[in-house]
Amino acid sequence: MKLKNSFLIALILSILSLTGWEMYWRSKGKVPTVQDDNAIWATTRAKVNNLTNEDFVFTGSSRVHFDLQLDQWEAYTGKRPIQLAMGGASPLPIFRDVVRNTNFTGTIVVGVTPPLFFSTTFPQAPPISGPQEKVDYYKDRTYAQRFNHWLSMPLQHNFVFVHSYEDMIAGNFDLRSLLETITIGNRTGNPKIPPFYEFGEFSEERNVRMLERMTKDPDFAKTVIDIWMFCLKGNAGMPPPDKESTMAFFMEDAEIFKKRGGKIILLRAPSSNEFRAIEAKITPRTNFWDELVISSELPAYHFEDYKQLQGLNLPEWSHLSAEAADFYTLEILKILENDGILTNQKIN
Amino acid sequence: MLFNSLGFVVFLVVILAVYYSPLLNWSGKKIMLLLASYVFYGLWNPPLIALLWISTMVDWTAGNKLAKEERPGIRKFWLLLSMFVNLGFLAFFKYGDFLLENFVVLANSVGWDFQAKPMDIILPMGISFYTFQTMSYTIDIYKRKIEPAQTFLDFALYVTFFPQLVAGPIVRAKDLITQFYEEKKATMQQFIWGLFLLTLGLFQKVVLADTLLSHTSDTVFGAKEVLNFWDAWTGTLAFSGQIFFDFAGYSTCAIGIALMLGIILPDNFKYPYASIGFSDLWKRWHISLSSWLKDYLYIPLGGNRHGITRMYVALALTMLLGGLWHGAAWTFVIWGALHGTYLIAERILRSRIPIKINAWNGILFAFLTYTLINFTWVFFRAREFVTAKNMILSMLFLNGDGTKVLDTFSILKVGILTCLLFLCHWLMRNTSVREVSKRIPSWLLGIVWAAMFFLIAISQGNGEQFIYFQF
Repeated sequence: MKLKNSFLIALILSILSLTGWEMYWRSKGKVPTVQDDNAIWATTRAKVNNLTNEDFVFTGSSRVHFDLQLDQWEAYTGKRPIQLAMGGASPLPIFRDVVRNTNFTGTIVVGVTPPLFFSTTFPQAPPISGPQEKVDYYKDRTYAQRFNHWLSMPLQHNFVFVHSYEDMIAGNFDLRSLLETITIGNRTGNPKIPPFYEFGEFSEERNVRMLERMTKDPDFAKTVIDIWMFCLKGNAGMPPPDKESTMAFFMEDAEIFKKRGGKIILLRAPSSNEFRAIEAKITPRTNFWDELVISSELPAYHFEDYKQLQGLNLPEWSHLSAEAADFYTLEILKILENDGILTNQKIN
Repeated sequence: MLFNSLGFVVFLVVILAVYYSPLLNWSGKKIMLLLASYVFYGLWNPPLIALLWISTMVDWTAGNKLAKEERPGIRKFWLLLSMFVNLGFLAFFKYGDFLLENFVVLANSVGWDFQAKPMDIILPMGISFYTFQTMSYTIDIYKRKIEPAQTFLDFALYVTFFPQLVAGPIVRAKDLITQFYEEKKATMQQFIWGLFLLTLGLFQKVVLADTLLSHTSDTVFGAKEVLNFWDAWTGTLAFSGQIFFDFAGYSTCAIGIALMLGIILPDNFKYPYASIGFSDLWKRWHISLSSWLKDYLYIPLGGNRHGITRMYVALALTMLLGGLWHGAAWTFVIWGALHGTYLIAERILRSRIPIKINAWNGILFAFLTYTLINFTWVFFRAREFVTAKNMILSMLFLNGDGTKVLDTFSILKVGILTCLLFLCHWLMRNTSVREVSKRIPSWLLGIVWAAMFFLIAISQGNGEQFIYFQF
C-alpha cells in the first residue's frame, strides 16, 4: 500500500476541489460574510460587563438591528453601542439578562415590534426561545467555544465556503442547505414556506446593513415580502398577543433597571404597506404601544409621531435600506438630544 | 474540546509539532501529553479537572497498596475505596437527580408527601468512560493480573490520554500503560494512516451523522403527534445510523489521533449492523464497553459457571446495568432489558434449534438482527415512554392514521443511506478498512480521501457535540 501516494493525491484533490468550490460561489456573487450566530452574539454580550453609565445597549428584534447603525450612533454620541437585537425575537429575555445579570447602568434601547414584543412569555414559543437560546449560550459557553469562534473569524472574513447551515435561510451552499433545496411533492401537506434569503450584511460587532440589492432588485425584495406575509398570515406558529403577561414581564425588569440608575428608551421603528396594516390589526397602537408607554412612563418614540421619519425607504416593508437606516439613526439621535435623553460627554 | 472543531485542529497541530520536535525527551513528551490532555478537558469546564485528579490519585494509591499488600482484608479495603470513589462520582454526578426523582416518586407512592428540588448537577464529560478505565486498573491489580504502572506519570497519562478520554475506547491498563514505558514514534505509514482514520471518523460524524441523518431523527423524535408508519421507521433508521456514525466516528478519530502519536488503541466497532444475532452484536458494537462489562460484571456475577438460570440472571443484570450506564433514565434501562432479553432468547433458541449459518441465510439473520436492534434504539432515543410507545406502535402498523412529518426526500435519503450502511457492514463484516485499502489502488484511496475531506469542509456546521459525551 502506497499511503504516501494516496495522501499526496488526496491533498492535491482537496485543495483543487475546495478552490474550485470557493471560486464557483464567488462567481455566483457570493462574498465572505460574518455569520450572526450564537458565538458572535455571546462575544458581543460579554462586552456589556465592561460598559460605563454613558454607554448604550440595543435590544429588540431585527428592526433595531437593521435600523440603528452603530457608526452613525458612535459618530454622534462618541460611544459605540452594543447591538444585542436579533431577528424574529421578543426583546424580553435579552433585556432581562442585561438587567439581572450585569451591573450596567447606562441606556438600553428597547425595540418594540408590537407583534413580537407583546407575543408571549411562554419559554418554548419562538419569539422567546430564540433569544433565550442566545442568553443560555452566553452563560454556558465553554473556553473551547470561545477559542473556536476566535479562530473562525479570519476564515469567515476571507472565505465564502466556510459559511455554515442556518435554519430557515435559503440560498446557502453548505451540504445540508443544498440538500434541503431538493423537494419531491408535498407529502406533509403543510403550506410551502417561501424561500427566505439573507438580505443584510453583518459585521463582527453585529451591525447589520441591508444589502444594496434590496433597493435595486424589486424581485429580490419581493422574496422577503413574501416570507413576511406568509408569517403574518398565521403560518409562523406565532401565539396570539398576550399583552398583560408581556407587559408585566417587562415592567418588572424595567423597575429594577430604573432603580439602579439605568435609562430605558422605547423605540417603535418604521414599517409600511400591508405589513404595517397587519401589525395595526393584530396589535393596534392605542391598545398596545400607547398602553405600554403610559404604564411604563418611559421615554418612547414611535415613528408615526415624527414628520421626518415618514416615507423612509423600506424595500420589504419592515426594515430600512442602508442609507435610510443612517438617516433614521441620526434623526432619532437628534430627537433624543432635543428631549434631553442623551447626556454623555460628547453631546455635552 | 471537540474533534470536529477548528480549535482541535490547531491543538493537534501544536501537539504533533512539539511531540516530534527534538526539544523534549520521552518523559518530557509524556508530561506535555498529560498537560495537553488537561487542557483538552479543561477547555470545556476547568473545575471538573479536579475529578480527574481525584480519580487518578485514588487509583494510583490503591494500585500501589494492592500490589504490595498481602493481607486480604486490607487489600479488600483498598479495592472498595477505589470502587467507592469512582462509583460514588458516577452515582452523584450522573445519577444524583435520577435517584432523587425516583425517591420522591417512591415516597409519594407510600403516602409520604415529600418534594425535592432537582439538584441540577452538571454531568462531567466522559465520566462514565474514565471511571470505568481507572476501576479496571485497580481491579486487575487486585486480581494480580497486572503490575502497577511504573511511574505516576504513566498512570496519570493512562487516565487522561486525550484521544480517548471523553468517549473511549475504554482501554485496559495492560494495553495502554505499557505503551508509555518506551518512546513511541509513529512510522510514516502509521502517521498517514492515522490521518486517514481521523478524516474517516470526521466524515462519519460531520457528514453522515450530523448533516445527513440527525435532522430527520430529531424531527421524528421531537414530534408531539402519533406518527405515520413510514415516518416512525425513517426516524428510527435515521437515529440508528446517526448513533453508529457518531460514536464509531469518535472512536475512529481517537484511534487515528493516537496512531499519529505512535500509540495503538483497540478497535471499538466491527461493522455491528451486519451482526448475526445479539451475541455477535456485542462483539462488534462498543467492544471496549461490552468486554469491560463481561470481565468486571458478568463473570463476577457468575457468568456461565453456575448453571443456566444463574447465567441468565447474570446476563440480564449485566445488560440492565449496561443500559443504565448509558444514561440516568428508565428508557435506557428498558433498552438494556431488551438487549438482555434478546441475548437470552438467542441462547435458548440456539440450544434448541441448531442452524448452520452460511452466506445466504446469514444476510437474512443479519437483517433480522438489525431490525430488532432498531426497536431498541427507539427507547434509547425517546425522552419519554409515551414517545417510545407511540413510535413502536406506528412501526408495527398499529397506529392507523399517523401524522406525516417528513418530506419524501428525507425518507428516500434515509432509506438509501440505511441500505448502503447495511450492505457495507455485510460486505465488510469479515475484513477491515485497512485490509480493503491495501487491495485498492493508491489513487483510488486518494480520491476517496479527498472526497471525504471535501464533504467535511462543505458541511462543517457548528461543531455538534458527540452523542456519547453525555454518557
